Amino acid sequence: MQLKRILVPLSGTSVDPDVIRVAVSLGKPAKAEVMAIYVIEVRWNLPLDAILEPESERGEGVLDDAVKVAEKAGAHLETELVQAREAAAAIIDTARDRKADLIVLGMPFRRRLGRVYVGKTVQSVYVGAHCAVLAYRQEETR
Amino acid sequence: MSNDKGNEESGEGDEPPSLEGRDAKFGRRPGDRYIRIVRPAAGEFRRRGGHYVATPRVDAPKGGLGRAYQAARRVLFGSRLTSEEEEGERLSKKTGLAILASDNISSSAYATEEAMRVLAIAGAAALALTMPIAIAVCVVLAVVILSESRVIRAYPNGGGSYLVAKDNHGVIPGLIAASALLIDYVLTVAVSTAAGVAAISSFVPAVHEHRVLWSLGLIALLTIGNLRGIREAGVIFAAPTYVYILSLLGLIAYGLFRIVTGDMPAAAVPRDAFQSQGLELLTPLIVLRAFASGSVGLTGSEAIANGVPNFKPPEPRNAVITLVWMGAIFGTLFLGLTYLATSIGIVPDHSEAETVNSMLTRSLVGEDTPFYYVVQISTAVILLLAANTGFSGFPRLASVLADDRFMPRQFAFRGERLAFSFGIIALALVSAAVLAAFEGSVTKLVPLYTIGVFLAFTLSQSGLVRRWWRLRDPGWRLSMVINTFGTVVTGTVLVVVAVTKFTIGAWIVLVVMPVLVGMLYAINRHYRSVQDALTLDRPDEPIPVLKPPVVLIPVARLDRATLQAVAFARSISPTVRAVHIASTAESAAEFARRWRRWTTEVPLDVIESPYRSLLKPLLRYIERIDERDDRPITIVLAEFVPRNWWEWILHSQTALRLKLSLLFRPNTIVIDIPYHTEDTGHGHTPRELEDPPQ
Repeated sequence: MQLKRILVPLSGTSVDPDVIRVAVSLGKPAKAEVMAIYVIEVRWNLPLDAILEPESERGEGVLDDAVKVAEKAGAHLETELVQAREAAAAIIDTARDRKADLIVLGMPFRRRLGRVYVGKTVQSVYVGAHCAVLAYRQEETR
Repeated sequence: MSNDKGNEESGEGDEPPSLEGRDAKFGRRPGDRYIRIVRPAAGEFRRRGGHYVATPRVDAPKGGLGRAYQAARRVLFGSRLTSEEEEGERLSKKTGLAILASDNISSSAYATEEAMRVLAIAGAAALALTMPIAIAVCVVLAVVILSESRVIRAYPNGGGSYLVAKDNHGVIPGLIAASALLIDYVLTVAVSTAAGVAAISSFVPAVHEHRVLWSLGLIALLTIGNLRGIREAGVIFAAPTYVYILSLLGLIAYGLFRIVTGDMPAAAVPRDAFQSQGLELLTPLIVLRAFASGSVGLTGSEAIANGVPNFKPPEPRNAVITLVWMGAIFGTLFLGLTYLATSIGIVPDHSEAETVNSMLTRSLVGEDTPFYYVVQISTAVILLLAANTGFSGFPRLASVLADDRFMPRQFAFRGERLAFSFGIIALALVSAAVLAAFEGSVTKLVPLYTIGVFLAFTLSQSGLVRRWWRLRDPGWRLSMVINTFGTVVTGTVLVVVAVTKFTIGAWIVLVVMPVLVGMLYAINRHYRSVQDALTLDRPDEPIPVLKPPVVLIPVARLDRATLQAVAFARSISPTVRAVHIASTAESAAEFARRWRRWTTEVPLDVIESPYRSLLKPLLRYIERIDERDDRPITIVLAEFVPRNWWEWILHSQTALRLKLSLLFRPNTIVIDIPYHTEDTGHGHTPRELEDPPQ
């Protein structure tokens, strides 16, 4: 598969740097553009375009850190900050809008009673994305 | 399908400009709306606590030349520090002692000798008074330290003698104390550097010939060290200070051991010893002069009180502890060396070819032993480093004065490394000039020295006396007695130093000081008048509603730059008038004709200037228009900006000259409309608009 654009949704967890490095290494041979996205989930009792200072600050921090990780890995990283009701829908739509060929996302998971649980965002992106999705698995630390 | 809603080009329209735009998008499914936060300045500005923070990328140079310059700066001065990193740049007690007390501690290298030199005039027997004088100096030092520790507790933000004198005596005495200290800091740098070079030239005689150049080089080195930040300067200077302290303590311990065990060494003989009979009688004046000379050991003790904010928290406590350490170390070294010198019977060298400390070390450990060289080299190094006390004291005091608006505001700004760069560079330049003017001679510089510090001490101690009297805190009587004693002692030393050194150079300081006080006062008066003019009467002052201004557009040619300026002028006011200066009646008529053909909406005045002067008729025209209208006059200038810097010389820069002429004109707003060749997208120089067809 010839990759042209890779979308990397970030969540501000410890898995983010690894996900960025994986995306950069996948994109390098084909000189694919790598873009990181951070979605601020807006509660239903607030307007969608509400100015959420602390969340925006955190998002910018996560994206700036991602840029540094990408630079260290030798790649330029485009970033996007988005506000949405549901992260998954915004990720899927951004991937479609930006014509991404691949979504690389971190998949923190938890084991409970012998079963593995993953977050609903990962599940929704898996099901709804128009393009290939690669999940980077990492167990959540308690 | 997602489609854009809202404005893609954030910042346009009626919205005020912002670093952030919000772009609403519709998702694939109904209801999947989301907001794309457009951040054109991402990476350059970061949000934090409701405001933006500029990231290092903002200051990053763009061109190759800029990057090379930045890299050179990083190598020389180190990488930049953020304001939050200031705590990390503070001094611990150990580095504080090395950096702020090296001046005082290094005085032990020559204080004994200075006292002995004066006493030796009255004969070798008079040298027996050196020890009582050393004890008296140490008693004064104890009083000064006690007093300074009270200054630190009362004034933890630094400023030392200046703040104490200003608070308790008033502004002028405060400024006298500040001027005295500023002069003394300059002289500390000059004298210490010259003394250090003199110490080096004792080992390497070739240095003596170019001592001014060597001294200037050392000042440059100290400047760079200090511009790198005070903590790094402390790291650079800590080792030699501690080597000096340990080697001298070792020497004293060894000397005492030999005396106690009855192994009294023979005194080393100088090449040119003072005569044992003496040239003068031992009078009280000689004793006072010897005391005054020995009191050079008190210089530098104010640096810690001035530099309290440089310490790590709790700043006052750490500063007081460092001050006590400094006094204890100086006292031990000074008394120990004086005791050994007088017990062994060292007589100072009349020609100053060898120091008393050198002779003492030679007597105790021998001439060519490694320890002798350790003592001598560490003495030379600490004398050089004592200059650094000036570099930590001057910028800090200047910043306090700048905060109080007695010195230019630039002195209060911290540089990239959190050092007061402006003060450091100013000190380096002034002390280098003084050093060059006095040909790098310690003998010529020394008479100027110490007056300032004793004047500052006297003012601050007498200030504290008034403070205790006024506040009457618990224990005020004892404090008042201590500070009164201190005032009398330091005042006496001041008078003795000023009188005995007046004709050999002290007069220069006594002339410069009032001039400096006058300058500081004048600067403050200027700032106060500016503040009075700028300060809002009320915090909720309403924004005044202004009438549109009268706009004048000086036009040289009818070209694209003029077109842009006229368009802008009409966007801010309906009252727009163009003015053109012509050199002949024909060119005046021709320009007026072409203007009328181009537009009748903007009236034009054409002024014929038969002597071809441009600025004067234009300025007079502006004045006359301004007289007839009370609205602010606005001059809109069309300025052509060439693509490359070297193309500037090909253009007359009339707009630039006009801007400079109008800069200080009251009630005049000057708006520059730059015209870049890229603006057209054609990449060629603006040409004169063609005449419309007849």
